[in-house]
Amino acid sequence: MNLLGSEDPTTFAPVIAAFKTKNPDITVKYAQVPFDQLNPTLQQRLGAKDDTIDLYTVDQPRLSQLAAQGFLEDLSTLKEQTKAAVPDAQYSVNLYQDKLWALPVWNSTQLMFFNKKSLDAAGIAYPSIDPAQRMTWEQIAKDGKAAQAAGTQFGLLLEQVEAYYQLQPLAESLGGGSGITGDKMLTTDITNTGWEKAMQWYSDTFSSGLSPRGVGGFQTSPLFTSGKVAYFVGGPWDIGNFAKSDIDWGVAPMPYFAGGSQATPTGSWSWGINPASKNKAAAKKFLEFASLDPAGNLATTDATTIIPANTAATAHYLPKLEALGGAKTTGLANLIAHENTQTATPRPVSVGYIQFEELMGKAFADIRNGSPVDERLKQATQQINDAWKQL
Amino acid sequence: MAPSQVFDRRKTPETTATGQVPTTRSRRRRASPSLIALAFLAPALISLIVLRIAPAAVALWESLFRQSLLQGGTVFVGLGNYGDLFGNADFTNALLVTLVFSLIVNPLQIGAAFLLAVLYTRKAAGAKIWRSLVVLPIAVPPAVSAVVWSVIYRPDGLGNSFLALLGLPAQPFLTSPQQSLASIMVLLSWIGIGYWMLFLIAGINDVPSELYEAASIDGASAWRKLWSVTFPLVRRPLAFVLVADTVSNFLIFAPVQILTKGGPSGSSNLLMYDIYTRAYTLGDLSKAQAEVIILVLLTLIIVALQFRLLRSSDAA
Repeated sequence: MNLLGSEDPTTFAPVIAAFKTKNPDITVKYAQVPFDQLNPTLQQRLGAKDDTIDLYTVDQPRLSQLAAQGFLEDLSTLKEQTKAAVPDAQYSVNLYQDKLWALPVWNSTQLMFFNKKSLDAAGIAYPSIDPAQRMTWEQIAKDGKAAQAAGTQFGLLLEQVEAYYQLQPLAESLGGGSGITGDKMLTTDITNTGWEKAMQWYSDTFSSGLSPRGVGGFQTSPLFTSGKVAYFVGGPWDIGNFAKSDIDWGVAPMPYFAGGSQATPTGSWSWGINPASKNKAAAKKFLEFASLDPAGNLATTDATTIIPANTAATAHYLPKLEALGGAKTTGLANLIAHENTQTATPRPVSVGYIQFEELMGKAFADIRNGSPVDERLKQATQQINDAWKQL
Repeated sequence: MAPSQVFDRRKTPETTATGQVPTTRSRRRRASPSLIALAFLAPALISLIVLRIAPAAVALWESLFRQSLLQGGTVFVGLGNYGDLFGNADFTNALLVTLVFSLIVNPLQIGAAFLLAVLYTRKAAGAKIWRSLVVLPIAVPPAVSAVVWSVIYRPDGLGNSFLALLGLPAQPFLTSPQQSLASIMVLLSWIGIGYWMLFLIAGINDVPSELYEAASIDGASAWRKLWSVTFPLVRRPLAFVLVADTVSNFLIFAPVQILTKGGPSGSSNLLMYDIYTRAYTLGDLSKAQAEVIILVLLTLIIVALQFRLLRSSDAA
């Protein structure tokens, strides 16, 4: 059977080999398509009912669109098993119209890293890694400014400055919701008080100079490793690089707004079966191995730094991740396990998610550069509604 | 005329030697010169049809339909997509930005390329070295130069360090709606001026030196020589540069994608980038096709206008 995805072939070699040992009669062949071509390729080949794809990787926010198009096999018979094997947020993102369309393979979260030298210079205590002592954004902004006064160039920086994935929790924390509501999940809701307050706070971090304007996605983590930033919000994938850098750093939970709820990003890749496949049984067997079987799911992370979606696999994986950062990341395994189950807030499941994410990205970029918040959110609402009309 | 003469002359000795005069000659004659010309042109014509005309026709055809993801069907909407586009604030803004961009960047690049070409064809010390330095940015792929310039334009980047050195205040560059388009123009000119200069240098080197000598004897100033000798005689390469530069500037994509994503507030949202977002990120292929047709028409109109202007000045 054939698996199609956007990862390097070496990434999936361990899970394929592990599956082969258990099932010598099934051979899994993996084909790679570059990430930015994955969606057009899937649209073309699945649209033409190409039966040479049996199983493929599904970017979780795109799941509902693929399901609506009829490009995913209904896996609802595995509902109970999946619900038991993975965190709630990783179960719900695979549902569309109450049916299960794919099984989660990988997961993610966000963490706050801090520069110890910078905090020492300003006489600020290190934030705790204990989720019970989570910092507030208000406190981080205040401490970040103090660090700037003591000589650090920037107080705070988010790794994906203009990405919905990382900014959704700001609005969620203030009760603004995901931005999409309604029965069909095709109603925009980004002009409520929660969204406006969160975006105003975000806008202020740039106008006050706490965060730098004009620094793009691929330049953010080097800015932290060069010691120019006091607080940096990034992902578990940063730990490997930071461990190799020269600066002294620590890690803490992603902050929340005072008086608001605690919300953190989550989600990554699921895998789904092509309805036109002629090897559905074999594909399903391999999919269950890679997602629901802890050993199989763990094998998908052997050759890369990513959190496995399966809860039991995560429990095995996190100590390894924690060891990667040495003494700097003591307590990380507990923190990630806590975030996965308690604060993880998935991106909205909507057939219009792709348009929503793209247009929100533009709005975040403009807000960051100083566009008036309420006006820009109204404009984004208009743009999103316009884009959804063609659905 | 020429091919058939060559053809006949080659055949004459053969026919006399073999004696098969009537059959061979009549069969060969049937292959008319225009058919042979067509055969030779076929590779070019076929690629023109397959790579240019067919995709344009497909775009035009598809721009008359609308696809629905949820209903899963395709409906004929006539000019509906075009109507929607002109009623869409983002599209009209992109159209305006593209026109302003073309109006400024083309004269700027061609003027600078012409002046530099004149400068570097003078016999001065190190002219060739300077010329190579100006041409060098062509060797850098556009995406790489965009990444390099993103570092220059960062608020804490090289650009502002340089301004500080001169005692000037720091500028927001790409983060300001007033400066983003101009910043992209500077980056494109950094690449473009050297490239277009090459064509003009070739043109200037073709101007016979006697004309300059004659002008000198007549007591013409350097300015007068530039205006009355160089300028009229490089009009042909200049016309090519004008048209090619205009077209290439209508198709700018990579720097916008890498540096600004069309922002802030749509201030650098050129049509090519708007087409890309509409087609591949918003998934509205039909409207994107309609936008392609609009862009092609716009380019054709402006290039036709340029040809007309150049022709009338030729006649004068």
